[in-house]
Amino acid sequence: MIGWLFRRSADAVATALVAVVVLVLLVHLLPGDPLAVLIGEREVDAAQRAALAASWGTDQPIWIAVGHYLLSLGHGDLGLAMSENRPVTTILLERLWPTLLLGGLTLVIDFTVGLALGLWSALHPESWRARLIGALTVVGYSLPSFVLGMVLVSVFAQRLPWLPPAGLADLTLPLDAPFAATLVDRLKHLVLPLASMVIATIAVPLRQQRSAVMGTVTQPWVLAARARGVSPAAIAWRHCWRPALTPVVTLLGLWLPMLVGGAVFIEMLFNWPGIGSLIAQATASRDIPLVLGAGVLLIVMVQVGSLVADILYRVVDPVQRDQ
Amino acid sequence: MKLQTKVGLGLLGLLALLAMVGPFVTVDPDAQLDLLHGTLQPPSLSHLLGTDEFSRDVLARLAHGAGISLGVGLIAVVVAALLGMAIGLWAGDSEGMAGKMLRRVINLGLAIPRIVVLLVLLSAIGAVPIWLLAVVLGMTGWPAMARLVRGETLRLRTAQYVSAAQALGATRARILWRDILPGALPPLLVAATLGIADAMLLEAGLSFLGLGAPPPAASWGGMLLESRSVMAVAPWMVLAPGLALVAATSAATLLGDALRRRLQPDVT
Amino acid sequence: MTALLEVKDLTISFPQAQGEPVVAVDGVSFRVSAGEVLALVGESGCGKSLTGLALPGLLPAAARLGATSEIRFKGTDISRLSERELRNYRGRRIAMVFQDPLTSLNPVMRVGQQIIEAIQAHRQVGRAEARARAIELLSEVGIADPGERVDSYPHQLSGGMRQRVMIAIALAGEPDLLVADEPTTALDVTVQAQILELLDRLRAARGMAVLLITHDLGIVAGRADRVMVMYAGRMAETASTAALFAAPAHPYTRGLFASIPRLSGEGGRLPSIPGTVPRPDQWPTGCRFNPRCPVVIPICREQQPGLDAIASGHRVACWVAAKTAAKTAR
Repeated sequence: MIGWLFRRSADAVATALVAVVVLVLLVHLLPGDPLAVLIGEREVDAAQRAALAASWGTDQPIWIAVGHYLLSLGHGDLGLAMSENRPVTTILLERLWPTLLLGGLTLVIDFTVGLALGLWSALHPESWRARLIGALTVVGYSLPSFVLGMVLVSVFAQRLPWLPPAGLADLTLPLDAPFAATLVDRLKHLVLPLASMVIATIAVPLRQQRSAVMGTVTQPWVLAARARGVSPAAIAWRHCWRPALTPVVTLLGLWLPMLVGGAVFIEMLFNWPGIGSLIAQATASRDIPLVLGAGVLLIVMVQVGSLVADILYRVVDPVQRDQ
Repeated sequence: MKLQTKVGLGLLGLLALLAMVGPFVTVDPDAQLDLLHGTLQPPSLSHLLGTDEFSRDVLARLAHGAGISLGVGLIAVVVAALLGMAIGLWAGDSEGMAGKMLRRVINLGLAIPRIVVLLVLLSAIGAVPIWLLAVVLGMTGWPAMARLVRGETLRLRTAQYVSAAQALGATRARILWRDILPGALPPLLVAATLGIADAMLLEAGLSFLGLGAPPPAASWGGMLLESRSVMAVAPWMVLAPGLALVAATSAATLLGDALRRRLQPDVT
Repeated sequence: MTALLEVKDLTISFPQAQGEPVVAVDGVSFRVSAGEVLALVGESGCGKSLTGLALPGLLPAAARLGATSEIRFKGTDISRLSERELRNYRGRRIAMVFQDPLTSLNPVMRVGQQIIEAIQAHRQVGRAEARARAIELLSEVGIADPGERVDSYPHQLSGGMRQRVMIAIALAGEPDLLVADEPTTALDVTVQAQILELLDRLRAARGMAVLLITHDLGIVAGRADRVMVMYAGRMAETASTAALFAAPAHPYTRGLFASIPRLSGEGGRLPSIPGTVPRPDQWPTGCRFNPRCPVVIPICREQQPGLDAIASGHRVACWVAAKTAAKTAR
């Protein structure tokens, strides 16, 4: 196990590195003068231009430029953001936790509620509730997450002023307000973006679980378990659900890149100050160092998530452990 | 034919009608602007879906946008499928080191979130004509297709008719083209149909971020962006493009499922 | 003395969307006494597996029992019991061993856990005690290092060991009757003998009755007390093993014996029964074997023969056999 873990982690690191290299190469390989692209429409004086050329290595062979970037990356230096003139790393760290919060909660809800509903639908395939869940998931999946978000905002924030339409928190709330009030406020701000993300993404684990359980229900070991007098509840849990878990866990690893995409649009819609909205805003202002930096971070997050998913997969499937 | 398939075909028909016939049948949205009285009108007989903040007819804009959204989706998927097919076939058919390397390349492609690549590219290139955006979208969508085709190629390589072809002296290219490709097509087609939905959503999202087709030509995503500021007073501006998007992606999903039932009956 | 199991007129049919229901098992009756081994022999499609599944009430949901069908276990008709009541019988009074031990074991559950599950389904025992009992059972079925093996996953065991585990699971509830559905078909020939040996030992030690369902007459010799031969959903012949092997009366049974490959004797073409087993919705009128029968007479094509005794404890459903027996009796 330890040997595998070591190799798998090394693989994750290597993949992340190569991905970063690819991204940096993309920027450098695009037609035109890379320096001009970096500067864009901004006003820069000669000193800044020179500093930029030096830090980006734009007048050097491409491999050196890439290497330079990677070396700085190793030091935690991702350069300066053009639009704000602050270190990219600082900005990234500021905006990391909102994304983790939103993404993390979405993941948790999708893989608990989604799995539970999927299990239930598989065990009662003919019921109207199961069919309804099936139809809703297709609609939810087809719905662009930000459209869903806009509808939710329109209904719950504008027509019915129950929830705030955007932002992390109410900025008019005094800093020394009681903890309960702050907590409630934060939670209220979390509801709509979270609901949008969950509704848009819950279809995937739900349908995967449903089809996996429908596959296990007909397996011979279920009949064998019935033959020894095991109760229906135990059969559903141990013999239908548990073996159906493995395809769902594989889903987790593949699915993280998709989750990142959804987050970008939702964060923009709700002015949620996370990495997703950061990369979108940076793209609009053509702040390449910032876009690259955010991209690197997202790649790393995906690799970490994929590693965790693979570990879970080995935990869940005993056959894998021996291979 | 199952109900879902009928619904999917129906939606597809409506949308195709909207895209192809709509622009000729509806009023030109940019003509006859009535900025004093005609802005933000709710749906009525003269304007079936209302007007926007520049008094343009929403239905007309929807029809013009349909061509963009649907066209981009199609182009992107075709590009992704072609690229993915080429790489997937190559990867699945290669032995040893080359095979391993190509597999890693595909995994790498899957590891980089598509949106990240898109945004990095767009930040460096700047504004692009919409058809180029479609191609760029397609160029970022190859990993999933490649993985699928690679899997199918690996599976089909061991089929007996392939061994037979090899024994008869067929070249590698010919085997790939005549024997393996037709076998890999069904799942690819299914994935492509479902991929149209993804591509359309991505284009809509990019337009929503202001990175898509520049005004006045607006795809549905662009219309959604415009509607954001007036959402509270003009909900039809959100609903029209929103529902259109839902209809299009639902149609793609339903038809993709129907195709899968037809072409791959043993897959759930 | 009441037999342990008495099956009367068992009919299993499957209603169709259109037309008549398909009858898979048609009026089968037999009994099993305590401690006895009854072999149920037939080709695939004859309904023997369904017969076995009917006993603990594990037929597919679409199946329907005939109105007059009875399954009496120690006197009680269990064919009409509710699912809950049946659970008291499953594993505890009637246990089953299935054909493919790989797919009949939950791949993500340790084998010991599956045995413990069988134990705890019927008795209130603590985990430690159940685990100890599971190890005992593994040892009883001949698995080496039971203390280690109890924590193995199914994929870590060989086919023979997996089948032993299945038997251990079946024994966990201390059943009176063990229904073994093709217990050796999925195993290598050498392992087959070991498993059959094991079943024999266990039966003797526990006084358990066994219903051995198989298509292989070869494994029946020396292991079963009595044999029932099934064809196309009906009983063709039933007798003690000795009597059946000495003088098979039904043409089908004869055909089965003739087609067993033998190492001794001259070479030549292996005889086989011409034609194929008819599907349940295509059963011929009269005796169902008549299209393939070498000694068919006109009445065979019109009326189904009843199961008549031709000697003590030896019954056959065949017009020709009945006639021959009547002649010799005179």
